[in-house]
Amino acid sequence: MSTRDVMALAGTQHGFQRYLFDSASPIALQVRPGGRIPVEKRLGIYHNAYRVRLVDTLRDTYEKTWIYLGDTLFDQCALAYVETHPPAHRSLRDYGAALPDWLAAQFPDDPDIAELARMDALLRQAFDGADAETVSLKALAGLTADDWETLGFDFVPTLALSPLQFNTPAIWSALDQGEPPPTALRLPASAGLCVWRRGWQPHFRTLDETEFTALSRLCEGARFAEVCQTLNETRTDASTLIAHYLRSWLTDGLVAGLTGVSGGGV
Amino acid sequence: MKKTSPGFGLGLRSDHYADFLASPQPVDWLELISENYMVPGGKPLAMLDAIRADYPVALHGVSLSIGSTDPLDREYLARLKQLARRVEPLWVSDHLCWTGVAGRNSHDLLPLPYSEEALRLVVAHVRQVQDLLGERILLENVSSYLEFTDSVMPEWTFLRAVAEEADCLLLLDVNNVYVSSVNHGFDPRDYLRHLPAERIQQIHLAGHSDHGDYIVDTHDHPVCDAVWALYREACIRFGEVAAMIERDDHIPPLADLIAELDLARGIACEAARSERAVA
Repeated sequence: MSTRDVMALAGTQHGFQRYLFDSASPIALQVRPGGRIPVEKRLGIYHNAYRVRLVDTLRDTYEKTWIYLGDTLFDQCALAYVETHPPAHRSLRDYGAALPDWLAAQFPDDPDIAELARMDALLRQAFDGADAETVSLKALAGLTADDWETLGFDFVPTLALSPLQFNTPAIWSALDQGEPPPTALRLPASAGLCVWRRGWQPHFRTLDETEFTALSRLCEGARFAEVCQTLNETRTDASTLIAHYLRSWLTDGLVAGLTGVSGGGV
Repeated sequence: MKKTSPGFGLGLRSDHYADFLASPQPVDWLELISENYMVPGGKPLAMLDAIRADYPVALHGVSLSIGSTDPLDREYLARLKQLARRVEPLWVSDHLCWTGVAGRNSHDLLPLPYSEEALRLVVAHVRQVQDLLGERILLENVSSYLEFTDSVMPEWTFLRAVAEEADCLLLLDVNNVYVSSVNHGFDPRDYLRHLPAERIQQIHLAGHSDHGDYIVDTHDHPVCDAVWALYREACIRFGEVAAMIERDDHIPPLADLIAELDLARGIACEAARSERAVA
């Protein structure tokens, strides 16, 4: 194939794609005129289909945000987002990953919108994220005193943590039940959202600041003993609290393995 | 050259997972959208494994972009091959189109100019894909809404040339032939007349949206009478070919699609009888 030939086809494709993305392209000159509909209408079918497919994708991923904003405002936002975010991947799975940050910039006075979108996105990622076996409370039974000193955790790959400023989980749940959402209220103390998948079902839970910090540190690779020590310095009820946390992490299916224990963990 | 027809199938959609798991369905095989299962894990892959245990499946992709002047996406192909290893499909198909260029992807099936240079590019790409997958792929004719001034041959000539020069098989979408025939003003029977029967491995049937002066391939309606008539023509011309109904939107209960599939069985059966009578 000569360079000139490839250039001709490439020129057509670049011109067509420029038209799809922003309409400014002389591609109409390369479309055969005549027939039942004019060239502009023929091109317009592709221009429209490109946008409809991506807006539908965003509606699907950000379903609760869509309901929260309503069709008109959500679609306005989605279309504006599409104009500046042409897809770069073969899969639509990750299309719209930057929408929560984009919404945060668009609605600086209503950060609850971006927070709800972030929750939608985390739950969607958990839906078809990587599978993992989990370990149960029984795994702790045989640990020695030395093991407890070096113990750390591998968490399931779908586990995601995100700071919460608003009553976003309550808003999400109301929308999920088809009920009117509560008014967005700033939380009295900082908190966190924990998202993960058990079996096939994405789950979420609100964490108070103490548990959010502890779990975040463990996810970053801190040893359990280090986290306990920090907690001991600030809380008088540290041992009760950490026992409670540990039990729920294991019974809720957040933990995929123990690290730093004799025998190489579970 | 082509494989024996597995019979009459449906496109597997998540709405119908529970039906397929609950009891055996009168469906001979299923077609999966490959990209829907190119995910790390979770329910889609679990459903796929469970349903695959009971039904033969074909993999149908929408992102190969075989006609793009960009190089083939090696990462995408590796994932496709990995999925093919997992499901051991009847065959792997995608579309005669391009979906993006310069590293972008429109997620739409965009038309090619039917030029000599496009032909050489597509043939080279099909060969590369087949070398990598280690088997022949099927290419499907897409619905289109415009034609390029650069085209020097009709779509059916281009499709036939790709199939013969690259030694691939064809997925004939009867609805797409009909949609394009209305949008471009050709006789859809001409299209069928020029295709190589020995390379048609699969047929798609679907519905569309009629906008009066043009038709859009939306896969959200039942198959219309004109498409059934064209399917009958295809059955007479191409003999026993694996056929299936594609529904992507306004997905009805599985029983409705099975009833529609029975219409396809009836038409194929009647066409075979009339062929024997003529012979």
